[in-house]
Amino acid sequence: MQTDTHKRPKLGALDLAIKYGFLALLVGLVLFFSLFTEGFASPYSAVFIFQSVSITGILALGVTATLVVDGFDLSIGSVATTALMLSSYVLVVWEMSAFAAVVACLVMGAVVGLINGFLIVKMRVPDLLATLGMMFLLVGLQRIPTQGRSISTGMTLPDGRVTEGVFPPEFLALGRHRFDFFIDRLIPVSVVVLLVIAFLVWVFMEKTRHGRLMYAIGSNERAAELAGTNVNRYKVLAYVISGVLASIGGILMAARLGRGDIASGNNLLLDSVAAALIGFAVLGAAKPNAFGTIVGALFIGILLQGLTMMNAPYYTQDFVKGAVLVVALVFTFALSRRGGGH
Amino acid sequence: MKLSRRLFLGLATSAMALTSGIASFAGEMPAPFDKASDVKIALVRYLSTGDFFQAYLSGVETQAAALGVDLRVFDSRQDAALQADMVDQAIALGVDGIVIQHGLTESMQAAAQRAIDAGIKVVAFDVNVENPAIPQVEQSDRDLARLALEQAIKDNGTSFKAGYVYVPGIAPLDRRDETWVKVKAANPGIEEVAVFGTLDNPIANSVANQARSVLQANPTITVMFAPYDEFAKGVKIAVDEAGLTDQIDIYSADVSTADISAMREPGSAWAATAATNPAVVGEVSVRTLAMLLAGETVEHNVIVPPTLITQKMLLDGDIKNMADLSAKLPQFAHADVSVPAWMPLPKR
Repeated sequence: MQTDTHKRPKLGALDLAIKYGFLALLVGLVLFFSLFTEGFASPYSAVFIFQSVSITGILALGVTATLVVDGFDLSIGSVATTALMLSSYVLVVWEMSAFAAVVACLVMGAVVGLINGFLIVKMRVPDLLATLGMMFLLVGLQRIPTQGRSISTGMTLPDGRVTEGVFPPEFLALGRHRFDFFIDRLIPVSVVVLLVIAFLVWVFMEKTRHGRLMYAIGSNERAAELAGTNVNRYKVLAYVISGVLASIGGILMAARLGRGDIASGNNLLLDSVAAALIGFAVLGAAKPNAFGTIVGALFIGILLQGLTMMNAPYYTQDFVKGAVLVVALVFTFALSRRGGGH
Repeated sequence: MKLSRRLFLGLATSAMALTSGIASFAGEMPAPFDKASDVKIALVRYLSTGDFFQAYLSGVETQAAALGVDLRVFDSRQDAALQADMVDQAIALGVDGIVIQHGLTESMQAAAQRAIDAGIKVVAFDVNVENPAIPQVEQSDRDLARLALEQAIKDNGTSFKAGYVYVPGIAPLDRRDETWVKVKAANPGIEEVAVFGTLDNPIANSVANQARSVLQANPTITVMFAPYDEFAKGVKIAVDEAGLTDQIDIYSADVSTADISAMREPGSAWAATAATNPAVVGEVSVRTLAMLLAGETVEHNVIVPPTLITQKMLLDGDIKNMADLSAKLPQFAHADVSVPAWMPLPKR
């Protein structure tokens, strides 16, 4: 089976299904909701879908980067919520600028990535365990400065002082400004950020030597090492990418919410991992890839948008999310047992 | 031996100084509060993360300090079995009274009974332990919903299209839902065109995504009933993003400093909220326990009444945060519940 699919010049039905099945499903879903839900087929609706998945999409690209080197980052959800709290803290309590808040978050994301990489590469802690530890650490750490309170303008600090800092308009614009695109004020900043990051990650992974080496590490670490690749450096790089992307997600969330909400970020983690795994099935890639990850995120976004518009309660949405993931995994592992990372 | 006696003397004098200090403005306190520092009480919590629970704890702490009693806090962090064990720990510690804050009836009922059997006075907040000897402190969720909906009807008349945010199975939300169902039945002109809701955190962000879809599907909605402030925050983000700020009014329950600033934004869609001050609920819980310890009789249901807070009140009173709210709306800062003449109140 492995060889004859490659030899055959024309694609069989199964190959077609593997390659385009998921995209066809996506188109079918859009058609279904457009026909049966009033207001689904509109440019606004399309933008909502992109907006609702922009943060999980950015996190999912981070997950993709770690999956490429055969790693895993459980800490991204809590990195995002830590960035949410950190940016709020810098703005509201320290009364610093939007620029400072963004830089602080990016640095925090990179440092967390470095520590994760250090634990995994130098301390030889298995990736799941190292990032699990980091996840708990961050969930606790983000609450220590405010003693578990959410951060908002005019809040009372544990020492009784009332804060003077505000979320400056240029920071809130990151979550609220919309660019004109045929229609006035249509496309939110977060969607543009998602698309730019997706493009950059795609170019880096697919078109540069570094990206190809990372895939090589993921499929056979030992072989890559023997071929002279600095495996450790690329692994650390993958976790740094993941941490920085997660912190960008957190910044966008803070700008949208306009406050630092206490949250564990577990839902963010699960949704973005689901998007990245669904991405395996897109175009029969059977490996982590940036394009697939974005399609996976959109797939979930479209389903949730459509179901919400049809008044489906939240538990059916979790059910459907799970069903999509299972189907995608079947596509990846049972139907396309060839090439890829296996 | 000498050391311990000296220590005891020191403690006793400082306790006397403390009680006499309080006595000067609160009158004589009945036993056992004449030696308040010997009284040990425990707070056994099920839920602790979030602004509401932080504020509740601060209320418990300030009222315990005003009484001069020794407060121990046990925090089970949403572990029902651990919470029951913690009640047993408190019993073993020899406390005089226990406040049970949230939890599950199934796990807490037997534990609460064990405490009663050990001669300990118990008060329960927002968890029904099904025990006639244990007063139930409640913030009245039905009243919260009623106040918010009455304001919605006052502002919008008795016929409008409404979106409703609800997640079933959460006790306070279920109680608020009862009121919504009643109000809908009493006003057939109110049409509920969409129900949605999620507790995926950050809740406001997830609800905003849902609300965007709902507004797109139902452009005729004019009222959003979001009886939990995290829901209301999410709906407000969606309404602003959809550019429907002028068309839609949001009515909610609960309040925080962040909510106040969201309601005060120019032209904000968030019209009103009804809230009980969680710190006051904490104070009432401790006062009720103190009354039991002093041998007074207490109603089985101790209800802390909510306050209606409208956008207009906030703007007119220039109320920017919770401290302003307590200062400008005295009914929010203090509930006249469980206040016998001898009860010392926290300083404000």
